Amino acid sequence: MEPLIQLRNLEKVVEAGPNKFFLLRRINLDIQQGEFVTIMGPSGAGKSTLLSIIGMLDGAWSGDYFFLGEAVHKLNVKKRNELHKANIGFVFQSYHLIDNLTVFENLEVPLSYKNVPHKERVSLVCDALDRFHIVGKKDLFPNQLSGGQQQLVGVARAVILSPKLILADEPTGNLHSAQGEEIMELFKKLNDAGTTIIQVTHSERNASYGHRIIQLKDGWVVSETATAGARATVSHPA
Amino acid sequence: METIWQDVRFGVRMLIKHRIATIVCVVALGLGIGANTAIFSLAEAFLLHPVPFENSDRIVALVDSHVASQDSGAGFGPQDLNAVAPATYLDWIKEVHSFDDLAAYAWDEVNLTGDREAQKVQDFKVTANFFPMIGVQPLLGRTFLPEEEEPGRNQEIILSYGLWEQRYASDPNVLKRVIKVDGKSFNIVGVMKKGFDFPMPAEAWIPLALDVKERLRRDNRWLWVLGRLRPGVTFAEGAAEMQAISERQAEIYPDTNKAWRLQPQPLRQFITGTLTRQYTVLLMVAVGFVLLIACADVANVQFARITGRTSEFAVRTALGGSRWRVVRQLLIESIMLSLVGAALGLFLAQWDIQMILAHMPPDVARFVAGWKTIRLDRNAFLFALVIAVFSGVISGIAPSLLGSRASIAETLKEGGRGSSVSRTRHRLRGALVVAEVALALVLLVGAGLMVKGFQGLLNVNESYAPQTLLTFNYSLPEVQYAPAAARLNFSEQIMRRLGSVSGVQAASMVTYVPYADGGGINEREFSIEGRPLTQRGATRTAIVETVAPNYFNTLNIALRDGRLLSDTDGAESPQAAVISESLARRYFSGENPLGRHIKDGKVEAEGKWMTVVGVVNDVRYSWIVKDDVPTIYRSFRQAPPFYTTVVLRTAGDPLKFVSAARAEIAAVDANLPLYNIKPMDKVITESIVGIAYVATMMAVLGAIALVLASVGVFGVMSYSVSERTHEIGIRMSMGAQTGNVLALVLRSGMLLTVLGLAIGLPAAFLLARALSSLLYGVQAADPAAFIGLPLLLFAVAGIACYLPARRAAHLDPLRALRHD
Repeated sequence: MEPLIQLRNLEKVVEAGPNKFFLLRRINLDIQQGEFVTIMGPSGAGKSTLLSIIGMLDGAWSGDYFFLGEAVHKLNVKKRNELHKANIGFVFQSYHLIDNLTVFENLEVPLSYKNVPHKERVSLVCDALDRFHIVGKKDLFPNQLSGGQQQLVGVARAVILSPKLILADEPTGNLHSAQGEEIMELFKKLNDAGTTIIQVTHSERNASYGHRIIQLKDGWVVSETATAGARATVSHPA
Repeated sequence: METIWQDVRFGVRMLIKHRIATIVCVVALGLGIGANTAIFSLAEAFLLHPVPFENSDRIVALVDSHVASQDSGAGFGPQDLNAVAPATYLDWIKEVHSFDDLAAYAWDEVNLTGDREAQKVQDFKVTANFFPMIGVQPLLGRTFLPEEEEPGRNQEIILSYGLWEQRYASDPNVLKRVIKVDGKSFNIVGVMKKGFDFPMPAEAWIPLALDVKERLRRDNRWLWVLGRLRPGVTFAEGAAEMQAISERQAEIYPDTNKAWRLQPQPLRQFITGTLTRQYTVLLMVAVGFVLLIACADVANVQFARITGRTSEFAVRTALGGSRWRVVRQLLIESIMLSLVGAALGLFLAQWDIQMILAHMPPDVARFVAGWKTIRLDRNAFLFALVIAVFSGVISGIAPSLLGSRASIAETLKEGGRGSSVSRTRHRLRGALVVAEVALALVLLVGAGLMVKGFQGLLNVNESYAPQTLLTFNYSLPEVQYAPAAARLNFSEQIMRRLGSVSGVQAASMVTYVPYADGGGINEREFSIEGRPLTQRGATRTAIVETVAPNYFNTLNIALRDGRLLSDTDGAESPQAAVISESLARRYFSGENPLGRHIKDGKVEAEGKWMTVVGVVNDVRYSWIVKDDVPTIYRSFRQAPPFYTTVVLRTAGDPLKFVSAARAEIAAVDANLPLYNIKPMDKVITESIVGIAYVATMMAVLGAIALVLASVGVFGVMSYSVSERTHEIGIRMSMGAQTGNVLALVLRSGMLLTVLGLAIGLPAAFLLARALSSLLYGVQAADPAAFIGLPLLLFAVAGIACYLPARRAAHLDPLRALRHD
């Protein structure tokens, strides 16, 4: 099967005056469809930057990036946005729900950006509310929900368009352990159903839900480790 | 469409959530849009609907302008336009091809008597083709027939709807009546439709009949000529042909035509008049400035709101929203704000218009072309809608574009900040404040100069204490008072009778009191004995006043040289004249004018030479003309007038003497109507009411601009303080004192203010130069305006900066350090 993501010699540089700083160096990575990958590493290692590039939110990098065989590095902004809209869902550490929209309306947002007709939109939102057991919360605003509930809505919003890939940046970082576990179980279920998941986390426990751990340090991939059922460990020079 | 509705719903929620910001924006935009809509309504009335009939587009006014006045004109200020002579008009009819019809009219005033109490009526003498040419039908009866242009057969009159209603109680059988017009019998042949009063302010029309002698005259310019362009002929083509004809005439008749140049104008432009157009444009520019300042305020508020919503926009983008969708969301919010502002603005505009209409004296309003059509009509609503959308877009576009440009990846990171966008935003907000201050300064200086000029106009007349002068006019009917002796006898009697009324300190007469006729100046040609004009076509002109000898004392006009007119300057005595200083200066420079001989009219004209016996101070006649106008005074005993203005110096309120004056005049001639009965101060204020309106509006706009600009400075500095709270906390923890923090904030705010003032001053100077050519007493380099008003703006901006600076200086350093 064709890999979902292929990164070849991907680099990200920022310039500060005469100096150049590499945020990512020569990243070569394949992620298969249906994988649950965890990116780990110390602060400043480039985890979130890599996630942003994979999520097509950041276009300023060099190297090759293929998504389902499509050369992302050759796409213009509009086409990249289309690809992102069609295939990727995001879950954030701070949930990033829109404060002035109700739960129902927050779930509607990605659908409206895809110009889904109203009837279908309502139907999809109702399905999501039902699926994530938050029907009773549909008219509440984010500040009327607990952190766990907010993240539940965040995940529901990320999957409402049945994306092929979910990118989660520290999804349980602001939650207490029970809530965090609940969210991770949810991810597991989604992954079992075929959705590819890439998460950034500091938590070993959360990482154990996935198939593979990619360690980053100073912008380099320093290791790739399989988790449960791991068969190989590949080390790279730092 | 549905997604737009979603954006609207969300926008409403956001506006309600940020109530204070919404109210500030709505009020600012309401003021701006309201002022613009009100002035649009005025401009629409003055510039688009100045004539009370349809299809005026193809009508052209063929007016003359004196070459000297054209050469001296700076392009801004009143334009000197004149009527043409009958022979010129008749030549045009024969020669012109671009116009399918030429018609003429002349100003006239008549006394209606016989059937009811005597009434003076403003009428116009018109050619028989006048009404057909402009395409106007009467309500009752008919218009004039060609044969009624024959002298002696011109005994028909057409009434205006107002006169028919007021004098004849809308009698449907009025057409059968014969009435007395200046003592002659006239048939009423028509009544015009309601609202038709063209040429303004016509109350009646009679046929224009030119006798043989008059038809040959080229020097007596009293006919106003209108032409209707042939189908397919443009204004430029018609004007070019007429100018060519006029130039040929100037070659053939240099003595009368050489000094004049034809100035064809579209009828609407001619009727509106240069000054009204210029003042209307001035006000439109001023309200445009106010709207821009309001938009800058709103843009600043939007910047502040958008800064707090950066993460929302990043999330929207991460969820698939394109940049355009984010921009559209913000623009919709901005336009909604403007639409609510427009709703408030429409109320304010309606109120403005009511105030404007309510305070205009009816005697003045009837002379203002288009005044009756001032209203908040469909076009005004459309205009308000268009400028609301425009304001929404221009106040929202920069914040929207910047708000949507923030780095998504950076923003979505925990604690991430888009610093480069933030710096651009700061610069833009600063630029907006600079622009606001600059625009406000231009408006303030403009307002200051207008108010000062207006005040100057009032002060200049204080010398003759207008509050205790009563003035009124009469016109003696030509038939009854044709002999000079009859007019002299009448004048002598009324002067004596009025002078003996208890409480009247002096009774006098003059042809035109200063500021009569709305400030229009009636200059006539005069000659100096032994000094022929060296250039063909050149003229010497002056106001020629026929006065009672005590006129100078009654109006406190001081004698500079020689003597005043006296009671001994009678009909049989040598003709005497007193001249104004400006006449002496201009025409007798370096010589003594006393004893020189001058004549009303050309050298060869009938009439005796007058000996100059005295020189008096100049009197300001008009707010329009900035220079003193040469004036000749002669005694009513040596030139008994038909038309005159009686001036009574009274003890106390002049209006208390109206009935006594009426009774005294009725005792001499019971059929003589008196009109324009007003205290002199009212004559002056009515004459300058237009400029009073402009000055008041400019002052209000200046005040609004000052408030909006200070709100802008306050908003930006408050926001800056809240953004820099953390930095201020660090500075305080490192030892910064209250004074240091105060200085830190004040310095940045005042720097923006000073930059704004530096940009605004040259622009204000350009405006002042334009205004100085418009209004007496306005100097382009007025120190009060150019020092005082920038200082005022600086002080107000200083207060607007001080309030947030004080808040910053009193921050708790520990809390400030914890501020995110």
